[in-house]
Amino acid sequence: MSLPVYIGAESIISSLGRNAAVNFKRICQGLSGITLHKQLGWKESDVYLSRIPELPERGKFLHLLNAVLDDLHQGWDADMLSSPDTQVIISSTKGGISDDLKNPFHPAVTALVARYSLVNRPLILSNACISGVIAINLAARMIRNELCRHVIVLGCDLISDFILYGFQSLYAVSDLPCKPFDQDRRGVTLGDGCGRVILSRDKSTFSSKPMVYLGGSDANDANHISGPSRTGEGLVRAVEKALIASNVNPDQIGFINAHGTGTLYNDEMEAIAFHRLGLDSIPLNSLKGYWGHTLGAAGVIETATCLQSLRNGILPASLGYENPGTTKPLHILKDNRPFDGEIILKTASGFGGGNAALLIQKE
Amino acid sequence: MASNTLKEELKKHIIEQLNLEEVRVEDIEDDAPLFGEGGVGLDSIDALELIVLLEKYYQLNVTNPEEGKQVFYSIETMADYIEKHKS
Amino acid sequence: MKEKATYCRMNPHGVFVNGRQKVSFNEIAVEDALTEMYRNLALEYPKFYKMDLLSKVAFLGVELLKTVDPSLVSTQNDDQIGLLFANSEGSTHTDMRFQESYLVDLLPSPSLFVYTLPNIALGEIAIRNKWHGAHMFAVFPNFVPVYYADHGKIMLEEGAKVVIGGWLDVREKLDALFFVMDEGLVNNRENILHFVSKCYSN
Repeated sequence: MSLPVYIGAESIISSLGRNAAVNFKRICQGLSGITLHKQLGWKESDVYLSRIPELPERGKFLHLLNAVLDDLHQGWDADMLSSPDTQVIISSTKGGISDDLKNPFHPAVTALVARYSLVNRPLILSNACISGVIAINLAARMIRNELCRHVIVLGCDLISDFILYGFQSLYAVSDLPCKPFDQDRRGVTLGDGCGRVILSRDKSTFSSKPMVYLGGSDANDANHISGPSRTGEGLVRAVEKALIASNVNPDQIGFINAHGTGTLYNDEMEAIAFHRLGLDSIPLNSLKGYWGHTLGAAGVIETATCLQSLRNGILPASLGYENPGTTKPLHILKDNRPFDGEIILKTASGFGGGNAALLIQKE
Repeated sequence: MASNTLKEELKKHIIEQLNLEEVRVEDIEDDAPLFGEGGVGLDSIDALELIVLLEKYYQLNVTNPEEGKQVFYSIETMADYIEKHKS
Repeated sequence: MKEKATYCRMNPHGVFVNGRQKVSFNEIAVEDALTEMYRNLALEYPKFYKMDLLSKVAFLGVELLKTVDPSLVSTQNDDQIGLLFANSEGSTHTDMRFQESYLVDLLPSPSLFVYTLPNIALGEIAIRNKWHGAHMFAVFPNFVPVYYADHGKIMLEEGAKVVIGGWLDVREKLDALFFVMDEGLVNNRENILHFVSKCYSN
C-alpha cells in the first residue's frame, strides 16, 4: 500500500487574479480573462490573448515565480521551503525566453535558490503542454519513493512573440476566444499563467485542508510530433494506467477536467479517447475558455482549479462551449454545477505526442 | 498549362524547403498527389511549409490550410495557381 | 545485472558505442557526419531529414543502442520502455533558428517551430519505435547522474522494464550520452551512479 500523498495549498496567477480563490470566484461568475490585443500578432494582426497585467518589462518569468512563492505562507508552512526535505519542480515550456533566448531557465532557478535558501535545486520539466500534470505525478512519485517529503510544483509560462508567431505559423490561433469542444471552434487562445500546488506526506504542513493525490500516469501516442493520434491511443493508455495506479474504477470518477484547447484535432482526439474509455457520460469541462492555454502552467493551474472545485463543491462551466463539435459526444457542462462527488480526473495532451492523467480525491 | 521550368523550379524548392533529401526532381511527377499515401507523402506540417514557400518565392498568400488543400494537390495545381496569380 | 553495459557517447571527437569509436568527426561538420552515419546504418527512415539536430542526435543514439542490444526492442511490450532524458539547453539550437526565421527571413517557419521543445526528440524516438511508454525531459545546468539514478528507479518501479537514459546538448558542442538501465542496475545506487558517471566521462 503506497503512502498517502496530500495535495493542496494551491495558487493561481492569471489574467483573472492573483490567487486561487479569486480566480475560482471569477470563473464561477463566467468571467474570462481573454481580450483582444490589437496588432500584437504576426504581421501586426489583432489577436485574442489572456495576459497577466502589471508585469515588469523584463524578468516576467522570475517575477511570477517569486510572486507564487512569496505568498506560500497563505496556504502552507513556508518555513519548510528551505528544508532539505523540500523539492521544487518547475513546469515550463519556454521559461524566460523573452529575456534570453539562449538561457531561458537557469538564471531564474539560480535566483530562486538564493532568494528562498533552497537546499535542493529546483528541477525544470520541459515536456510541452503536459509538463504540469507530469510534474504533479513526478512530485507524488518522489514522495512515495522517499526522495523528499514535500514538493512544491510550480507551472509558469508567458506569451511571447516567439510562442505567438509559432502558433500562428501553424494556423492554430483562433480569431475569436477559444471554444473547446464546440462545433465552431477555430483554434487556441494563448495565455500567461503561473500556478502552484504542493504535495506532501504531512497533512499538518497545510493551512487549509489538503485533498488526496491518488495516482497518475503518462503515455505517448507514438504517432506524430505535433498532431494528436486519431485514435487517442496515448490518452487512453495514460488514463487507464492512472486509474490502475489510483485503484479507481471508471464509474467512481465524478468529474473530468480535460485538456480541451479548442483546436479541431485535439478536442476531437480527446472525445474519441474518453469515448473509448467509457467516460463520455461523466460531467466534463475545459478551463481554457477562462484564461486561454497557459502551456507549461496549464496542468498546474487547472489541477489547482480542480482542488477549488472539491473545496467549494462547484464545477465551472466549460466556457465557450455551446454546441457539440466532436464526432463522439461528451457530457460537457454548459453551466456551473453543484458537485458532491469525490474523485476528479485531470488530463493533458501535448506536442511530442505526450498525454498525461492524474486523479485527486476529496479528503 | 504551366511551364515546365516553373514546375521544375517548384520541385527543387519543395525538396529543399521540406528536407526531402532522398527525393530527386525526376522522382516527383507533375500530377502525383503531394499528400497521402501513394503520392509524394507530405504531411500536415509540410502543408504549412508550402504556404510559407509560396510566399517566400512567389509572394503569394494562400490564407488558410483549407484553401491550401486544392492549391497544393499536386505540382500541376500549384504551378497553375502561381501562373494564374502572378499577374 | 547485465554483464555488458550498453551505452553510446557522442562528443566533438566522434561517436562511441560501448567505448569503441564508430565515427570520427575530424574534419567534417557534425551534422554532415550524423547524416552520413544515418545513411551507413541503412535505416530507410526519410523522416530523419526533417528532424532538427536535437532529434537527429536522439534518434541516432537510440538506434545505435538497438544495434548493440537488439533485446531492447524485442523483449518488451511497447509501453515498457521508459525514456528519461535531460540537457542543459532545452531546445535552444532550434529556438535560435526559429527566431531567425521570423526576425530575419520574415517568415516564421512551422517546421522549425514544432521542434522548439526538447521533448519532441522523445516523441521522434517514440514514433520511430512505436513506444507508448513513460517519458520525461528535464533541464539542468550540467550533467546530473543522480537524476538518472533516482528517476530511472522510479520509472522501473512504475512499470517500465527498461529505461533509456539520455543527455542531449548540441548547441555549442555535441555532448550526448545514451545508456540502458534495468532493475538490476538501478537497485544498487552506488553502481548506477558509478556507471552513469563513467559513461559520461568516456
